[in-house]
Amino acid sequence: MRDAAGSIYDLGYQGYAGPRLGRRHAAWTMYVHSMRLIFGIGRPFSSKIAPWLLLGATYMPAVVQVGVSSISNSEDIELIKPEEYYKYIQIVLAIFVAVIAPELAGRDQRSRTLSLYFSRALSREDYALAKYFALVTALLALTLGPQLLMFIGNGVALDDLGGYAEDQWNDIPAAAASAILISALFSGVALAISSQTSRRAYSTIAIVALLVVSSVIAISMVESLEGNAGRYSILISPLQLADGLTFWFFGATDQPEEPTAVADIWGGAYALVAAAVSVVCALIVVHRYRTIDA
Amino acid sequence: MQSQAPSPDAPLIRTKSLTRRYGSVLALDSLDLELEPGVIGLVGANGAGKSTLIKLLLGLLAPSGGSAEVLGFDTAKQGPELRQYIGYMPEHDCLPGDVSATEFVSHMAQVSGLPAGPARERTAETLRHVGLFEERYREIKGYSTGMKQRVKLAQALVHDPKLMLLDEPTNGLDPQGRNDMLDLVQRIGTDFGVPIILSSHLLGEIERVCDHLVEIAGGRLIRSEPMAELTSVTELLVVEVDGDNSGLRARLRQAGLSVTSESNRLLVSSDNGDGADDVRDLVRDAVVELDLGLVRLEQRRKHLEEIFQPIPVRDGADDA
Repeated sequence: MRDAAGSIYDLGYQGYAGPRLGRRHAAWTMYVHSMRLIFGIGRPFSSKIAPWLLLGATYMPAVVQVGVSSISNSEDIELIKPEEYYKYIQIVLAIFVAVIAPELAGRDQRSRTLSLYFSRALSREDYALAKYFALVTALLALTLGPQLLMFIGNGVALDDLGGYAEDQWNDIPAAAASAILISALFSGVALAISSQTSRRAYSTIAIVALLVVSSVIAISMVESLEGNAGRYSILISPLQLADGLTFWFFGATDQPEEPTAVADIWGGAYALVAAAVSVVCALIVVHRYRTIDA
Repeated sequence: MQSQAPSPDAPLIRTKSLTRRYGSVLALDSLDLELEPGVIGLVGANGAGKSTLIKLLLGLLAPSGGSAEVLGFDTAKQGPELRQYIGYMPEHDCLPGDVSATEFVSHMAQVSGLPAGPARERTAETLRHVGLFEERYREIKGYSTGMKQRVKLAQALVHDPKLMLLDEPTNGLDPQGRNDMLDLVQRIGTDFGVPIILSSHLLGEIERVCDHLVEIAGGRLIRSEPMAELTSVTELLVVEVDGDNSGLRARLRQAGLSVTSESNRLLVSSDNGDGADDVRDLVRDAVVELDLGLVRLEQRRKHLEEIFQPIPVRDGADDA
């Protein structure tokens, strides 16, 4: 190898006089790279299994509903309502971010590539935000994607997509708003945790535990505590926030026995708290990368 | 002025009272430095402030006081713009395992600002320059230390930087690997014409490839001088002959020369008032008369090791 190397070195060096696209291009490259990382694109098959299985799982309720619609051919049979959609898939979303976030923010600390990134044409903040927005975008494929499939599928099954769309038009902004907020919330919580350590197993367990435990605590507080303290304690759980804000955007309420119905607080509070938590978590991620030693 | 391209008139590096504190610790103390393009050796003991200086020059650390300008960019305010034109090779491991060198270096080129097409082309070319061939399509985790060091060098070179900062590039390499890496560094610095700052704790390496030397200790600048001045010619002649040299030593002393022994060599002072040529003639005649084989007769140059006292060397240690 060495002799071959010696002779090849002599090919001569070419400078680069072409465009240098700077910080924006560097940040965009990071964003695209992170998206590829999330779905295992350009990586071994083993890296693709988890994301694609989980992605597929989030579409199952939509597929079932579209099947029912096409068999019954009636607008009235709504087995799975759009405002209830995330109740079916919230655990899949939780597992998805718990598995993927440590790959995005955590693995870079393990392999110590940060020094190479931070010595290039982007800032530490750009790097952190590119990862955050990549995960939000990826999650939209698991949140908004199934809603859109169900919407279009229902219309097509009824042989009247135009009419269905006209009747149900309000569902679109409600689905979009809830999907965006839930994606931002779950991404924020997961990355805020995973960016603290390079140990993937710890992050994954911590993320699942936080999402599940906070939900259990919130439900028991809603049921046991008296007055506003009990009712508003439902806001400590990201999973309950997801439910509450979705019902609010769709102008609906959950079944009487369900936690958000029991708490019975103003629905906008779920959306506001979810937005605030998303922003705070994104800032935690940025702060982590701003101060991490590299 | 904020600018997007390196300023051709600006010095490579100019720092003014550059200071960096970590809490109460003064890592860099009011450094005034101006450097022109070349291959610049940066030496200093562990904790002398080398790594701090490199991070300040990269715009990764904000100065606590003073300022630093690199290629005409203000490092504190124009970090991302500046870093489009800088290649940095850290001392530690920094490569992901599960991607190929081709994929990784091309990605790195894009994060430095190159469009995808040129990034790919230059990746292929750069990996060839550093001596990575078929293996560049394999996952990095299977690479030897030497190959990994070449990938690290490639990612610092791929975007045609106007300054490369190399932090202990021979770390962890065997003697042959060190040799190859130094050849590469020298080639990049002289043949490719890319200015380099080479941080090393091995003075021999610095002496071999650098044309300028910067020494810092305790966060202060000790010297910044062209290598030629540091390793200038001395007034000693080195004489080495086949076999026993004691006869020759006696003969030269008889002739009134000051002679000392150094292992199997004789060091002869050429400063006897008559000029070095006469001394050479004397040595030649003496060797002929004694029927010895002359192996070496040369003017001795200073080595960096002799200049540095105490020698700031501790092999294999991390620089804080």
